[in-house]
Amino acid sequence: MFDQPTEREVRELIESQGLRYEAGVDEQVGWYENGRLAACGARKGYVLKMLAIAPEFRGTDILGALVTRLVLSGLSAGHETVLLFTRPENAGIFEALNFRLLATHGTAALLEHGPGLEAYLASHPAAPGRNGAIVLNGNPFTLGHLHLVEGAAKAVDRLYLFVVSEDCSAFPFAARLRLAREATARLANVTVLETSRYAVSAGTFPSYFLKRRDEAAQAQMRLDLDLFARRIAPAFHVVRRFAGAEPLCPATRAYNAAMAEVLPEAGIALTEVPRLEAGGAPVSATRVRAAFAAGDFKALADLVPPSTLQFLRSDEARPIAGRLKGA
Amino acid sequence: MQIRRKSTAGTMQSSDLMVVVEPAETLQIDIESTVKKQFEHLIRARIETTLRDLGVAAGHVRVSDRGALDYAIAARVETAIHRASQE
Repeated sequence: MFDQPTEREVRELIESQGLRYEAGVDEQVGWYENGRLAACGARKGYVLKMLAIAPEFRGTDILGALVTRLVLSGLSAGHETVLLFTRPENAGIFEALNFRLLATHGTAALLEHGPGLEAYLASHPAAPGRNGAIVLNGNPFTLGHLHLVEGAAKAVDRLYLFVVSEDCSAFPFAARLRLAREATARLANVTVLETSRYAVSAGTFPSYFLKRRDEAAQAQMRLDLDLFARRIAPAFHVVRRFAGAEPLCPATRAYNAAMAEVLPEAGIALTEVPRLEAGGAPVSATRVRAAFAAGDFKALADLVPPSTLQFLRSDEARPIAGRLKGA
Repeated sequence: MQIRRKSTAGTMQSSDLMVVVEPAETLQIDIESTVKKQFEHLIRARIETTLRDLGVAAGHVRVSDRGALDYAIAARVETAIHRASQE
């Protein structure tokens, strides 16, 4: 029967299965047999987490019941599609529940249930040709980003600029997307799109937002890149991905290193473009946020395009400056 | 009957199916099934008959099936439609 498990019970069960306990989920469910927690699972946003079944209850349909609970609770929270990570050898168990395998790399596999990736690709018809892609957060969009986009756009038929959709950054997604669109509007062969759940998201790469650099983060970024290389890139006729060289942030540098390793394996070329410099230092969104928090608009004028500068001066951006100062 | 709001019925357990229906301008039926290759046409036919019997002409119907028998399909679809037709 279903019941609300205690943290101690969940921790014991999932740790016995080699998983890591995570606090702060939206929904936690447990299935009890003879008063003992036999299986548990959780949902955080559109990601199912910490699914575990005690070995003696394998082969029963407890998992079907648990996943039903979590999928229904996701639906009522507005998530038509849910994702989950598991070990590749367990992918088949979830495929039998109508999950589809999105990507697999090394010790991790990513699956989804719902209209998901196919609906995303169907709603973004791609241009023919030898196209390129950039995935960026744009937090906010800088002259460094513009430099990267301009160079890339010259090298391909169409450049797809994917803006990370996850709302985990100082600048909200809607503003980041708008600033990317405004700054690149005059470039005729650039299309700005949202990444949805499928690149650098809470679904594909949660540790990016935590700036973690452990084994799990390594596995996630490879999975994220496998998904890009095998599902996203072919759909958009992307043959080359572009990225800014990363002199500062270790997490981004690790991601670039993983790109250099994973993408060519799947036939996608990678070009790392040296950073644009201003005043003897690389232009980065980190530097822009620091200047913005300090109210240094004189410095900002050398770091961001006019559209971003105008946004930073607006009333809409004021609360963001407040949050950055607080951080 | 008319689909007025998003509703669900059924489960993702073996031999069952989960149905999600929501309002839409036209009728669209999407089927995921562990036996899709062999039985998609029969599942679709059973859903269409059930919808026709209930007088449902428009809506988005999504089904995640794990080998349910045809009367289970009809029952789950009917339940989801009844729930969706209530204000």
